[in-house]
Amino acid sequence: MATVRLRQASEYPAAAQKLFELSKAWFNHDLKQPPAMSRVMAWDPEFGGPHGRAMKRAMAPGEWTRAEKEMVAAVVSGVNACAY
Amino acid sequence: MHGHTAAGKLQGLTSDALWYEAALLVGITNALNVVADSPLGSLESAETSADAEAVYAEIRAFYSRAVPVPFLRLAGDAGYLAEVWAATRRAFADGRLTRRFKEGLAFAVSVTTRSAFGTEFHLAEMRRCGVGARGVMEILGVTQMFSSYTKIADTLQLEPDMHDIAPVDWSPAPGGAPRPPAAPREETP
Repeated sequence: MATVRLRQASEYPAAAQKLFELSKAWFNHDLKQPPAMSRVMAWDPEFGGPHGRAMKRAMAPGEWTRAEKEMVAAVVSGVNACAY
Repeated sequence: MHGHTAAGKLQGLTSDALWYEAALLVGITNALNVVADSPLGSLESAETSADAEAVYAEIRAFYSRAVPVPFLRLAGDAGYLAEVWAATRRAFADGRLTRRFKEGLAFAVSVTTRSAFGTEFHLAEMRRCGVGARGVMEILGVTQMFSSYTKIADTLQLEPDMHDIAPVDWSPAPGGAPRPPAAPREETP
């Protein structure tokens, strides 16, 4: 169980709502609530903003496809023993 | 991890076979790295039998270079060396995933686990397989970013919340029979 209370999307300010919409588009899935990580990142937009942009830049198709990069991310998360 | 597997499936990597292949690669990569990075230098002087030398010939041909350290350290048991090599070759050969991409995955694993051997070895193999400087940077960027997200998630003990959004692959195991249809539920009185 998370050690903090994850706020519902409705508890965030308007600027965060836009980020949550982008999150849905990013995952190409109509999520009922934004993923927990998106809500964590929206807590501090001055951190979450640049961190998220760096992530999207890293994940953008280039020499590897977005799908391949998702697999790299899964492998890194697995090796880090991260259940999330 | 669940989130990225789901995200990868939503991006088109729907076949479980791809993920099995990646997982086996991660395992053997780590297995080779832990032996290579351990202070086992004294084992390298073990005599190489004819059987071990035959395996080494295959390894040199596969990599077009001298036998990598983790295999040299297995010379004391040619039978074991042969089995480890067979698994390694299977994991890294072109399959559903390309050898080129597999070297990228192995590089990401090695950087994440701080393996000096694995990082250098798989970087060289990536380049040999035709990955450019941009491709290397892309793997490094993804590795760094998700080494951040994972620690944020762990610190807050976030629970997976995206694992059920990906399509399920109902195909059987290789060579196996299709999954039998679920038995109809008995009516309760």
